[in-house]
Amino acid sequence: MLLFRSEENVAAWCGARGNPVRPLIRLDQLWHLAVTWYANRLTVDSRRPGPDEMVAIFAEVGLEGPFWDPKADRWGSAAEP
Amino acid sequence: MGSGAGMDFDTAVKLNIYDTLARTARAPATHDVAAALRAPLADVEAAFRRLHEKRLLVPEPGDPSRIRMAPPFSGVETPFRVRIEDRVYYGNCAWDALGIPAALHRDAVVEATDGHTGEPIVLAVRDGRPVPEPCVTHFAVPAARWWEDILHT
Repeated sequence: MLLFRSEENVAAWCGARGNPVRPLIRLDQLWHLAVTWYANRLTVDSRRPGPDEMVAIFAEVGLEGPFWDPKADRWGSAAEP
Repeated sequence: MGSGAGMDFDTAVKLNIYDTLARTARAPATHDVAAALRAPLADVEAAFRRLHEKRLLVPEPGDPSRIRMAPPFSGVETPFRVRIEDRVYYGNCAWDALGIPAALHRDAVVEATDGHTGEPIVLAVRDGRPVPEPCVTHFAVPAARWWEDILHT
């Protein structure tokens, strides 16, 4: 996942590659994901969240739908190859 | 190694990897971990494989003795530089670049670039939260496909 200064730059990057524009995440949402995912990574009990936990974590910052579901086999985009 | 000790040993390997990364900003290889834990190299190699299966590390392509990713840390230089005190870490992506100060519980300066223009983008994490900065992160790959090609994701 790449960082961009603006939505316009994302559209230009995707357009240059013929790729669909995917969800854009704000800095505050990204920080929430970073903390939730990694705050205990250096501890004995650390592990990667499981699929259902991932769905719940994404929902906490308003990221919902099949794109954010690691168990999904479709994500609702006709542009998906 | 007996099966009852398997999880404990994997945890020791995991902690050594992350402790080494935190202290040195460099990912240890299997022989480094074996020396630190005074363990047989073959046991550490097996632990690396199991940690990969648990998605806690990604080996260097073509060289399973080295670590490409121990998320959020990268074992190689990337466009996501993370400065914390006098050390420079590398994140695997925008998410992981913020994951490093989150994992280390430290303030940080992330030096990244715009994915399209190459313009520098500097993000500061101060007092446990990012300083507002105009930017967005684009997730090109659905969550279900992240680990199909994690080096690309």
